[in-house]
Amino acid sequence: MSRHEISLTVNGERYELEVEANRTLLQLLREDLELTGTKQACERGDCGLCTVLLDGVPTKSCLVLAVEVDGREVTTVEGLSRGEELTPVQRAFIEQGAVQCGFCTPAFILAGEALLKHNPRPTEEEVKEAVGGILCRCTGYRQIIDAILDASKSAKK
Amino acid sequence: MPLPKFDYLRPQTTEELAATLAEHGADAKLFAGGTDLIVVMRDKLVRPKYVIDIKGIEELRELSWDERRGLTIGAAVTLSELIASEVVRERFGALWKAAGTLADPTIRNRATLVGNICNASPAADTAPALLVLWAEVEIVSANGKRVIPIREFFKGVKRTALEQGEFVRAVRVPNPPEGAKEDYLKWGRTRGEDLAVVGVAGLVANSGKKLVRIALSSVAPTPLIVPEVEGVFKGGGSVEGQIDKAASIVVEKISPISDVRAGKEYRLHMAGVLTKQILKRILGAS
Amino acid sequence: MKKYSYVGKGVPRIDAFEKVTGTAQYTADLRLPGMLYTKLLKSPHAHARIIRIDTSEAEKLLGVRAILTGKEVPYKFGIYMQDKETLAQKKVHHVGEPVVAVAADTEEIAEQAVELIKVEYEELPAVFDQRDAMKEGAPLVHERLHEYKHAPFIFPKPHTNIANHFKLRKGDVERGFKEADVIVENEFYQPQVQNVQMETHTSIGQWLPNGQINIWTSAQSPFAVRHLLSVGLGVPIHKINVVVPYLGGGFGGKAGLHWEPLVVLLSRKAGGRPVRLVMTREEQFNTTAVRQGFYARVKTGVKRDGKIVAEELLFLWDAGAYADYGVNITRAAGYSCTGPYEIPNVKCDSITVYTNHPYGTAYRGFGHPEFHFATERQMDLVARAIGMDPVEFRLKNAALPGRITATGEKLREDAGRVDECIKVVVEAIGWGKKEPKQVGGKLRGKGIAALWKAPAMPSYTSSSAILKLNEDGTVTLSIGSIEMGQGTPTALAQMVAEELQMPIEKVKVVTKRETDFSPYTWQTVASRGLFMEGNATLDAVRKLKEQVRETAAELFGVPKEELVVAEEKVFVPGKPDKSMPLAKLATAGIFPDGRGIGGPVLGYGMYTAEGLTNLDPETGQGLPALMWTFGAQGAEVEVDSETGEVRVLKMVSAFDIGKSINPVLLKGQVYGGIVQGIGSALMEEFIFNEKGALLNNNLTDYKICRAQDIPDEFVFIPIENPQRNAPYGVRGVGEHVRISVEPAIANAIYDATGVDLFEIPMNRERVWRALKQRGEKVASA
Repeated sequence: MSRHEISLTVNGERYELEVEANRTLLQLLREDLELTGTKQACERGDCGLCTVLLDGVPTKSCLVLAVEVDGREVTTVEGLSRGEELTPVQRAFIEQGAVQCGFCTPAFILAGEALLKHNPRPTEEEVKEAVGGILCRCTGYRQIIDAILDASKSAKK
Repeated sequence: MPLPKFDYLRPQTTEELAATLAEHGADAKLFAGGTDLIVVMRDKLVRPKYVIDIKGIEELRELSWDERRGLTIGAAVTLSELIASEVVRERFGALWKAAGTLADPTIRNRATLVGNICNASPAADTAPALLVLWAEVEIVSANGKRVIPIREFFKGVKRTALEQGEFVRAVRVPNPPEGAKEDYLKWGRTRGEDLAVVGVAGLVANSGKKLVRIALSSVAPTPLIVPEVEGVFKGGGSVEGQIDKAASIVVEKISPISDVRAGKEYRLHMAGVLTKQILKRILGAS
Repeated sequence: MKKYSYVGKGVPRIDAFEKVTGTAQYTADLRLPGMLYTKLLKSPHAHARIIRIDTSEAEKLLGVRAILTGKEVPYKFGIYMQDKETLAQKKVHHVGEPVVAVAADTEEIAEQAVELIKVEYEELPAVFDQRDAMKEGAPLVHERLHEYKHAPFIFPKPHTNIANHFKLRKGDVERGFKEADVIVENEFYQPQVQNVQMETHTSIGQWLPNGQINIWTSAQSPFAVRHLLSVGLGVPIHKINVVVPYLGGGFGGKAGLHWEPLVVLLSRKAGGRPVRLVMTREEQFNTTAVRQGFYARVKTGVKRDGKIVAEELLFLWDAGAYADYGVNITRAAGYSCTGPYEIPNVKCDSITVYTNHPYGTAYRGFGHPEFHFATERQMDLVARAIGMDPVEFRLKNAALPGRITATGEKLREDAGRVDECIKVVVEAIGWGKKEPKQVGGKLRGKGIAALWKAPAMPSYTSSSAILKLNEDGTVTLSIGSIEMGQGTPTALAQMVAEELQMPIEKVKVVTKRETDFSPYTWQTVASRGLFMEGNATLDAVRKLKEQVRETAAELFGVPKEELVVAEEKVFVPGKPDKSMPLAKLATAGIFPDGRGIGGPVLGYGMYTAEGLTNLDPETGQGLPALMWTFGAQGAEVEVDSETGEVRVLKMVSAFDIGKSINPVLLKGQVYGGIVQGIGSALMEEFIFNEKGALLNNNLTDYKICRAQDIPDEFVFIPIENPQRNAPYGVRGVGEHVRISVEPAIANAIYDATGVDLFEIPMNRERVWRALKQRGEKVASA
């Protein structure tokens, strides 16, 4: 099996490493870089819990090979807040009660961040569409949708 | 679950890709979005020795349109890029809509249209639209290039017209006839993202008199166009009557199976329902 | 009403920061030195004898550290029925059952090794339907059932597939049916479904050569894991330490013992290296536990005036290959079988039946969503048979305070009110309002269903809590109950802040549970956490205050009865010189001359369920319920008769929760539960082939609700009739929120279309088929 030298930026930090061809970005993040905020729950693109931002674009990291991200920029949930300072989306998730077991929370927050970046005032339907590929079994989604809508309002204030 | 072992190759030009395929074709899988490939590798349904990533080839990123040739969609163009294109939305409505029904935005950020047709699932979301739009597939190998109609591309469940050593460079979609109206409807098990239980694309041109095309997915071993529909609209009678007739022809010509997603009977029924709905929409009948 | 500072407020959950920043650790996020990774070889057959296992090729693979087969681990585990094998021993009992386990340096090596193992099977006749499994001569899933150990309140039938037969007999049903004017009988059916926690079952086990066993696991019941492992392996309990980090959803499926024995046994074979197992999603469906399938026959006798006089119920549960919690679900559904109604004559037989399906376990509601689908549909069908409004019919038979339940319990005055729940739901859903039935070619209808449930647990179940006063005056609460999203620790922090009149920021609740350190609790199940840990916590606060007052009394030279503990101080009201910050007493009290008294302040609180008794084995009579939480749910649906699509426009719910401690978290429980209920109502089911293999063992084809599948509108109305013996009057509600979603929707579908459904899921195809059949019947009539 081929091995490849890659260099990438994760949450603003540069990494140079060697990866085997069959390694997925999800495995690279969780196992090699020990960024365990990104979750694994189906490994076939159904649940969306492994969603990260790849050059700012929400992407299911279980369906990306590590070797492909050479020269690219990855943002995981660990890269959002600065110290104690949370992003408006993170704050809204707490205030709206959009967090329960927390296992899906990083994926929804990242999808919300990406949505608001290119569509600062989404409609409810647009929010549902943006998070439609991510599963949650605890919340019933209502409070997640409300949190993203709420963040879109507060960010503008 | 780790993926089986393979070598990763990333050619930079189509020539290089053709040469790589000529050498390793039997043991290689082309890798664009990976949203199908990685899943089947993980499930060990395929174990390629080589995975050839085509995303490094600039030429395959082509997404272009001109008045004469129509739309060209390179093999590395993602569905999100397609959806973001103004010209696709305005001039190729059925395709634009179909692309937007495939999985969810995070998948579409990776998945490609060419990958969707090369995977050759009977449920391929973009296939019915390409069928009614008379799309062509540009196939390249070390030995040269050939262009075939999309109708001839699908050969069976997960089987295409691609020979060993060949790859799809692009899908070309001619401009729809003047005044054409087109649409796509997908029926799944739920409102949230799902594979199609039935997908139907329709196209009409010349006020519905001359040209009527209906194509479907998930109702036969391959996505298919039902050419017999055309004849219904040549004759007289009320539009409603013609639509009913067209729907019954569709139901006659398809051969869905019962599987974990739906029963045959329900698929037949929904194919009829969707065909009527789409014809009503594009023919402007109430 | 009393004014509270923290109780009743929507304070943010205490674990929120960790969870929104990705720093909350779950079991699969841990990495221990020398850790090995497990992969399983699973049975392709539903029922087959294991003839031969050849692991020789796999053993040669570099990096393989332990290979385990069933023969080497002849243990049996189980919470109520000791029937579960860690790895299949002589035969396999269902497709997906683990046969061989490999621990290796990497997952990749373990997986390669699994592929090199050859197993020879001899297929046996299998049985997949609980009704078939009860027939004479059916293949036996457990031939040695008569030898299995089980809890005293479980009644297996040796040499059959019956793992438990619960009997309830109240009054005289035969006489009751004779008195009845109308008798209505119906059958109901539900397939196996799954909890689908987002985090799959994950365990790390380490069995050190000195006999110490360490476990890190995604479990709802760390103390049950420890106990059941000790019993199953014959290891002293103090040698086992179980750690539970954050849990990525449980919903009952992670209660009891699951894969912990496997990882520790692998570790023993690997010389004590820690061994991890993370279930793949496919294994989560196929290999680990699911919700039992269900069949019910309900026969109801009613007077013309609407009084139910007799009911006979048969519940048959498809337990799959192992009984696990299934036998107790059978029992709990059996003693609650009437739903929230008083019926003078009741006969119920609730029977757990082994089949060659994946094994059944607890899933949010513990049998109640299953049987309420039957009984709450039946309420509508009976009301219709006598021409009575279903709401009026329910209210007429409601189990109100003072009335007698099926087990002979007289409901207390403070038991909560199902009638109030029904009335507010009826109001909010617009019951009986004249509204157009047809909107844009689609049919609209409304349905309601009531519900009740009590925690299903042993009569003597207990909880404890430890509250420490820290050197800076803050406090730290330790409990055994785990955080799986339900928010109990946050609500307990609110109670502690309230009791001590201390800012909530100064109350910490320990997030990790570790049996060596955490105070005991039975399990985190049954919607009993806030009630029981709450009582234990209040007791701990009392004890902490007592210790503070004792020391302060000596320091101040006043009787301790004069002292008040509040606002981070201990003081005599009105005497500013007799006041001292709590911080000064945390480790000891100090006299001016330097002498120390007292000692580190720690409150130890406990609570044991009061007044419960065993049930009579022949009649089921007794007191099983710590508390009943009553509720009602209403659905408004829109049905597309052309496609069979059912859209839930509005879901209204009311529960008599006694007291809302945290409205934001409470709302989260309600909405989340409703959406789970909509999943099983409209889309979720296990689909098997004729050989018992699960065809939809992934999230592509096992559909659960996505963001687009939720109702347009949720309405939740808390009813607050306090429970006398509960902390702040609370009752549990974690499970109740999803109990009557299915029948409310089914009743609404009838209202919309005139078609009765007796089976879930009511997916598009099934509803279309039912509408079509009705159409054909009408056409031929």
